[in-house]
Amino acid sequence: MGEMEELRKEADNLKDQITEARKVVQDTTLQEAVAGTTLVGRVQLKTRKTLRGHLAKIYAMHWGTDTNCSKLCVSASQDGKLIVWDTLTTNKVNAIPLKSSWVMTCAYAPSGNMVACGGLDNMCSIYNLKGKDGNVKVMRELAAHTGYLSCCRFLNDSEIITSSGDCTCILWDIETGTEKTIFAGHLGDCMSLAVSPDFKMFISGACDFTAKLWDIREATCRQTFSGHESDINAIGFFPNGNAVITGSDDATCKLYDLRADQELITYQDSGIMCGVTSLAASLSGRLLLAGYDDFNVNIWDMLKAERVGVLAGHDNRVSCIGVSSDGMACCTGSWDSFLKIWN
Amino acid sequence: MSSPDEDEVPAIQTGPKGLINDWRKFKCEDQDTPPSKKELLRQMSNPQSDDIPDRLNRKMSVQEYEMIAEEDEKCLRKNQQQCMKEMHKRLSFGPKFDSVVELDSAEAFLEVIEKAHRLTLVIILIYEDGVKGCEALNSCLDCLATEYTSIKFCHIQTAATGAGERFSDNVLPTILVYKAGKLLGNFLSMTQHLSEEFFATDIEAFLREYGLLLEKEFAACPDEEDGGVEVE
Repeated sequence: MGEMEELRKEADNLKDQITEARKVVQDTTLQEAVAGTTLVGRVQLKTRKTLRGHLAKIYAMHWGTDTNCSKLCVSASQDGKLIVWDTLTTNKVNAIPLKSSWVMTCAYAPSGNMVACGGLDNMCSIYNLKGKDGNVKVMRELAAHTGYLSCCRFLNDSEIITSSGDCTCILWDIETGTEKTIFAGHLGDCMSLAVSPDFKMFISGACDFTAKLWDIREATCRQTFSGHESDINAIGFFPNGNAVITGSDDATCKLYDLRADQELITYQDSGIMCGVTSLAASLSGRLLLAGYDDFNVNIWDMLKAERVGVLAGHDNRVSCIGVSSDGMACCTGSWDSFLKIWN
Repeated sequence: MSSPDEDEVPAIQTGPKGLINDWRKFKCEDQDTPPSKKELLRQMSNPQSDDIPDRLNRKMSVQEYEMIAEEDEKCLRKNQQQCMKEMHKRLSFGPKFDSVVELDSAEAFLEVIEKAHRLTLVIILIYEDGVKGCEALNSCLDCLATEYTSIKFCHIQTAATGAGERFSDNVLPTILVYKAGKLLGNFLSMTQHLSEEFFATDIEAFLREYGLLLEKEFAACPDEEDGGVEVE
């Protein structure tokens, strides 16, 4: 047992060294840096459109990014359908029937040519939206994960990254349908992932209470962020790519700076006691929209760490949120089967 | 998070965990699921379960993954029917009301906000006799109160609030919206958002725009074909 003790001591020593190194570079706190900034006024968003058509709970949604589809988004529902919406006209561009109704995530390819989804079937299914005869068909079924598919995000038309309940993330080659890289390291189910604005890195949040930054090409874990006291359910990049935002079951959201390798601030309120399950930052990064388990969306002033608004209502049980790529609107998907576009 | 009113499964979460929860509930209610499997599902739904100590970081068990692999087309259809039923059930819940309640003091005002059921939306109109728009808005609310019976509509005169100076004539009428003790919407000088002559439907549309009113009608029939279009 002597060796175990030594190794344990060594690990603790290394952890202390990391903490020390982080303290050394911390020359100020976010609160001090923004002392002179005025709080953003109360934010009240209005519903501009309601997207009706799903027959059951909405589990996930994702906006298109290409200039051709910045007004399009895709949603996944318990009714076993993926619907691609034109949010300006509220028309359904595509209604794709799925083989499984347990779909946890959906993604829109940056090119607008494909969408992907996955869930309890442990697979990531890729659909080609621009097939020759106009029909949307399954292009690939990426199967290798031994756990549920919690999230997927396209890098381009030939690569996609998935996160899974089997504690790993995988970079896939869509053409061949095989795994290019397996990112292992998390000790708990991976719940969410986000790709950096330059597409070179991605971050994952997991049920081991940590978030990890991965280098896609080098296939390594660059940084690990801890501090949360429970599962991290949602994760996103700060718009400039230099910081990471996480949302957790511990009822808080945190902002971690990549260069300082530490937490900058925690978004919490004694009145909030339920977990965060989805988040999205505004284009400027000034506002953070976070969805909670009590079905409300709280809007935070990211600099001053104060709540400046609530997106809530009678039956607006919000289950997912997304801010469009041009920052003009946000979309909320709800358990009442509707999606709403707000700004 | 869990409450005696929601007499369904223990935790109500959104996100992937919510979906796993939905799946467990579906399997538990399904007659074709054997009792031993139902017991496993119930154990997995209860986070405090001592029988499975090391699974803190893992959300699903191997046996559950096996159950999913065995599912087929029939399951998909059963699930879809169940969804429709749930949806209908969820759309009417909580205490019911039928008319606008007059609040006569600041204490009554606070009590209404604090004591309301956590799922009930509370809409309060602050008004004063003789101020433009107040009477019209009052009758609009009378109308909406009979239609939206899960919402608690109230009104109070500024004199009764004890904060008369705060509500000068130019911010009246004011509508405040609360739920579970939280202020969701704060609309001063309500009439600036409305045209000269307004009706209950205008107030209804306004509140719906801010996501504060329930959508009364929803989705088309279950056999909706692919590529169906809806124009708003």
